Amino acid sequence: MISISNVTKHYLMGDVLVKALDGISFDIAEGEFVAIVGPSGSGKSTLMNILGCLDIVTEGVYKLNQKMIKEYDENDLAEIRNTSIGFVFQQFNLLPSFSALENVMIPLTYARIHRKERENKAKALLTQVGLGDRMYHKPTELSGGQQQRVSIARALANDPNIILADEPTGALDSKTGQEVLALLTQLNKQGKTIIIITHDMAIAQYAKRIIRLKDGLIESDTRNEESDV
Amino acid sequence: MFKEYFSIAWRSVTSHKVRALLTTLGVVIGVSSVILLLSLGNSAKAEAEKQIRSIGSNLIYVTVSDPIGVLPTIWLDEIKDSAKIAYYSPMVQRPVNYDVNGTNVEVTISGVNEDYDYVSSLTMTSGRFLSSLDMKSNYPVAVVGSKIADSLFGGADPIGQILVINGVPFEIVGEVAARGQSFSGDNDMLVYISYDYALNLFSGRAFMTSYYITSTSESTVNTTLAKVSTYLDSVLPSSSLYRAFSQSQILGIMDTLMSLLTSLLAGIASISLLVGGIGIMNIMLVTVRERTREIGIRKALGAKRSQILFQFLIEAVIITLLGGLIGLGIAYIGAFLISVLSSFTVTIGLDTVALALLFSISIGLIFGIYPANKASQLEPVEALRYE
Repeated sequence: MISISNVTKHYLMGDVLVKALDGISFDIAEGEFVAIVGPSGSGKSTLMNILGCLDIVTEGVYKLNQKMIKEYDENDLAEIRNTSIGFVFQQFNLLPSFSALENVMIPLTYARIHRKERENKAKALLTQVGLGDRMYHKPTELSGGQQQRVSIARALANDPNIILADEPTGALDSKTGQEVLALLTQLNKQGKTIIIITHDMAIAQYAKRIIRLKDGLIESDTRNEESDV
Repeated sequence: MFKEYFSIAWRSVTSHKVRALLTTLGVVIGVSSVILLLSLGNSAKAEAEKQIRSIGSNLIYVTVSDPIGVLPTIWLDEIKDSAKIAYYSPMVQRPVNYDVNGTNVEVTISGVNEDYDYVSSLTMTSGRFLSSLDMKSNYPVAVVGSKIADSLFGGADPIGQILVINGVPFEIVGEVAARGQSFSGDNDMLVYISYDYALNLFSGRAFMTSYYITSTSESTVNTTLAKVSTYLDSVLPSSSLYRAFSQSQILGIMDTLMSLLTSLLAGIASISLLVGGIGIMNIMLVTVRERTREIGIRKALGAKRSQILFQFLIEAVIITLLGGLIGLGIAYIGAFLISVLSSFTVTIGLDTVALALLFSISIGLIFGIYPANKASQLEPVEALRYE
């Protein structure tokens, strides 16, 4: 479903050429649970942006669902982000003046789903992540764990195949972090492809496959026997 | 979808109420002053037209300059025969002051003939107008305007009263219905006497005589005017010695002048709309910068460029439209106050309202497009990184 081959991403930072990704290749099949790990500066955030169609490759090929991403225009990419990928961010990235329900409804709005249906779907998703009783709360009235669950519900809104989670537990204490990871594991069991980007090996242990990045290159790509499949 | 943009934009506007209000202040001031000035101009124009029409739209004025000054009766009779004239009357006016219990009252004495009531469409409330006999006899009689009784006789019935003008006692034989203000002053403070008497009282041609001529119908005004001019051209050595023009010509000139003045004032007022628009652009740019992260999030969640553009554009339009509505409200209050505090009635036409609202929407669109476009062009990765 995801195919990355010889992908490079170069930035110009002032006068210095930064090779954030220096030619990496891997495939991810549907239903996999992958952790992409590496220290800061290893290129994992860049990779996440590319996988999420937020950014485009300098060279190489990124295929998503057998389609070359490079061939898409701005509007197509927006549509892919809307329907094929669900983002979970470290800082949750909820809109502060909107309620949990309204936040979950945003991707549905951009998918032009009818208001009533949108509301029902968002309510069902919030109930699914255990927030059925806090739908009308603003993000500031929710704990970190609850906020992250809202953002997971939002990521699931248009029923995407892929969930891209960037340090999903980075802003949470270890207990709530485990709850969020358990939720992601559960979603994986329901068939979602989960990709977690993290610097924390303990979190990577939840995944069934670990890709280690270092200096823009893949250091190792291994099956994780410890994960409780 | 539009409803969603609207609700998002509305929420953003209402969550910064004071800011939105300050932002749109320029539009408020601009719209209220444009509406008020346009309405004032239109109302003044309508009022003036109404007054001129009330005098009669088949009216022609003729004045003859010095050294001739007056038209001999033979000429006038010849004009009357040749052109399709219904009535004519000469008129000479002069102010006279009276002391009523210590206060000065100014009255305008108007020397006219017996046909002046037809020429000027006067209505009598009591008594009669000057007659042809009054013109020939030496007995001095006068007809007064509707305010004279109150001003000079303490509200008593003026009929039969004696009014002394330049030492000559005039018996009042009639009262004219109220006619209101005109450019030449208060028509209700006029006293009408015979033209010849007026000339005698005020020593000959000290004041220029005007001639009021009415054509037989409204449709023949222009032919009559042409014939009068032809006649005067034939008897006077130069056409620069007289002026002849019809009521409708005055109306036309006035119309042009008032429209010009109105649009000039409204044009000046609309500069504040421009300034207001620039203010809106400025605040919208700040808003876009402040909400960079929100834009990033929305893009990550699947918002297209056009959808971000619309969101901010509609926000700008909401702000300016709100300003337009507040401005409209202020204009209505202003019009009401002017109508109450002065005798002048200002009405705000629906076309003026539509114009003002259209203007405020356009300003939102024109000055909102740049910031909205800027928002839509943000790169999602950059925008998400923005703190």
